[in-house]
Amino acid sequence: MLRHLLRLTWKRKSRNLMLSLEILLAFAIVFGIAALGLHYWQLYREPVGFDGTDAWSVAMQFSDVPAETISPDTYDLMRRSLLELPEVRAVGFATYAPYTMSTWTTSFKSPQTGAKVDTDTIEASDDAAAALGLHLTAGRWFDATDEGQPDLPAVLNRRMAAALFPGGPALGQRFMSAEAGPPRSYRVVGLVDAFRNKGPLMTPTNFVLTRFAPHTSQSRVRTILLKVAPGTPRAFEAKLNQRLKAARNDWGYQIDPLTSMRATLLKEQLVPLAVVAVIAAFMLLMVAFGLFGVLWQNTTRRIPEIGLRRALGASAGSIYRQIVFEQLLLCSVAIAAALVLLAQLPLTGALGDTLNWPVFAGASLLSMAVIYLLSLACSLYPGWRASRLDPVAALHYE
Amino acid sequence: MLRNYLLTAYKVFMRRKLFTAINLACIVLTLVVLMVITALLQTTFWPSGVEGKSGRFLQVYGIRSENPDGKSTRTTLLGYKTIDKYLKPMTGVERVSAFTMPGTVSVYQGDRVSQLDLRRVDADYWKILDFHLLAGRLPIDDDDRLGRLVAVVNASTARRLFAGSPAVGQRIGVSGQTFEIIGVVADVMHINAYADIWTPLTTFPSTDYQKDLTGNFAALLLARSKDDLPRIRREVARIATTFVSDDPRTYPITRFWADSKLDVFARILLSRPNVPDSGASRLLLLIGAGMLLFMLLPALNLVNLNMGRILERSAEIGVRKAFGATSLQLAGQLVVENVLLCLAGGLLGLACARLALWWLEASQLIPYLEVDINLPVFGCGMLLALVFGLLSGALPAWKMSRLDPVHALKGAA
Repeated sequence: MLRHLLRLTWKRKSRNLMLSLEILLAFAIVFGIAALGLHYWQLYREPVGFDGTDAWSVAMQFSDVPAETISPDTYDLMRRSLLELPEVRAVGFATYAPYTMSTWTTSFKSPQTGAKVDTDTIEASDDAAAALGLHLTAGRWFDATDEGQPDLPAVLNRRMAAALFPGGPALGQRFMSAEAGPPRSYRVVGLVDAFRNKGPLMTPTNFVLTRFAPHTSQSRVRTILLKVAPGTPRAFEAKLNQRLKAARNDWGYQIDPLTSMRATLLKEQLVPLAVVAVIAAFMLLMVAFGLFGVLWQNTTRRIPEIGLRRALGASAGSIYRQIVFEQLLLCSVAIAAALVLLAQLPLTGALGDTLNWPVFAGASLLSMAVIYLLSLACSLYPGWRASRLDPVAALHYE
Repeated sequence: MLRNYLLTAYKVFMRRKLFTAINLACIVLTLVVLMVITALLQTTFWPSGVEGKSGRFLQVYGIRSENPDGKSTRTTLLGYKTIDKYLKPMTGVERVSAFTMPGTVSVYQGDRVSQLDLRRVDADYWKILDFHLLAGRLPIDDDDRLGRLVAVVNASTARRLFAGSPAVGQRIGVSGQTFEIIGVVADVMHINAYADIWTPLTTFPSTDYQKDLTGNFAALLLARSKDDLPRIRREVARIATTFVSDDPRTYPITRFWADSKLDVFARILLSRPNVPDSGASRLLLLIGAGMLLFMLLPALNLVNLNMGRILERSAEIGVRKAFGATSLQLAGQLVVENVLLCLAGGLLGLACARLALWWLEASQLIPYLEVDINLPVFGCGMLLALVFGLLSGALPAWKMSRLDPVHALKGAA
């Protein structure tokens, strides 16, 4: 049966070539969207490294003034005055808030291999961990004992620890900065499992968290991170703003709960995927129309052949199966060709970790299911129509 | 001759209504997507309405400082001082406006918090852009000079903040300052115009912004006529070479460019902040190539459908061949038929694209979006339909013209 079908398909290869090319393209499109969706799903299930519930971020808006014009006491004043509010549980400072698209990169030298390791970084104050709900897997967060130490304290994520100290323990080790300027030495005081500041859809990167202390750090960070009492209403923002204005009147403050920042960011990242998916759905609809039309025409052209088979004793069911199986066979050939082409992407690593093997396998299965279902749906009616032909009339068809 | 083709085409299309419908549906679906994209791009690059003078103004979005060794680079928006010191004194320009990017602010009204996008602009801004004033007045030079705490809001914001009552004359608290609303303008979504609320530059809580060379500003340069634009571009590029940055040792070279709308997008999307050519032609080429690529699957689909249709007509083709029609004539006929169908699909698609755009505007997926299908978009749509028709008609036509007349006459291809 299969050999017979194969021969029939081969006989009409030039027509089938165009059809399989169309199926191949449709498969590639579905595959692309499925792969992106699965990649996002894979990222979404990994931990972001912090809790963020009941946390608020305040972006302080001031112009690019030299660091020394902002007195370190400003930060202390703000912290104290915010802690006086009954709703506020913890007040931390950081270079930027999570769930923004900010990236700061720097590089460090691995003391073991001597290699330069690029990493994302953020400066955070002693209370930032409590405000964010940061979970450390080993060691401790920054505290007052770090003040005046010769080595600057640092907290690494697991990925960075493995890159800087391959094979060995990272906690307590020293490492140096690899940036231009006077070299600074750091000591690992704590480890986190992950830290993905851009939220659940961020590709994991190396991450180094360093300490911000207003009196010793040279930088001037622009974000306050607050832990508030559970159930604090959004209207607390007005009170907060008033309090901040009292501390520093000439700055602007943009206040957002982290949960709403997370929702906005997720929406921003997912809307493009949704738009592409909708367009692709329209394209699939079109392919379905096309397949249906082509199959209809094919069966019409093959009425004499079908009539002959019926006359020689083939049942209606076997004609039906022939039409459907022929279509599925064509589909399989196209999908196989597409898979051979697409497998080059993870094999060559052209897209890096975006398209790893689990994603590839999942996306292949998903898109195979979609394309097979589509083919099946499109061949059902033409097949049924062919199977219902009266052999006598079919043999005489002109 | 053409009349004959048209008649045959009509007859053929009517003979198989289902397939004509399927063909048309595929064409319309494809063209709607492409036309919606074209219309959106057209409003972005060559807007009408509030930024209708786009053909006459240039904008400076960004300043690039770098070291000759290429290691240290810095690309940011302009600071007010850069505009005030370097761009405002330019001669041969009608107006120069400095304005900030929109930033989110919270407006507190009792328990209610509304997040709005605020832009601080100077008085020239209102003279360069043609805002449609719905109530009240627009800020004037005096408001700037005296630092009056006045604000203009757009219609949606006015409704959101003061549902039911007129907005003009009301007061709102924005990050610790109280503004009096003096005007309401229509909603707009364009790069220079977009905001929910506009206030004069001089209402910044401190005057620090006047000392910044880099910051959050962009500049609009309005030329007296279109012909002045190349001269202004050259002049701005020359001025950039005289720029002294706040850290001349790290960043001895500074560049900024006066760009048209298309240039602004091309420069950002193709990341070319350091060369005079913004890559606008490359961007357009990329968009065109993307559209062709998008058409590939639908075109293949149509090819498959057309192949079937030709084989059904092999008897007719056999007769015509037997009577001496050349392959070229036959191929031409099928291509014309296909192009006709595509143009019909294009017209239908245009109507559907209008509906899709209305839906897009109503859905507020992009806030304040307002797109109209004008003559250029119509022309582009028809061009797309033509290209699509040729793309999908050529291969079946070529195949048809090669049919052997003897076999074709018997109707067995």
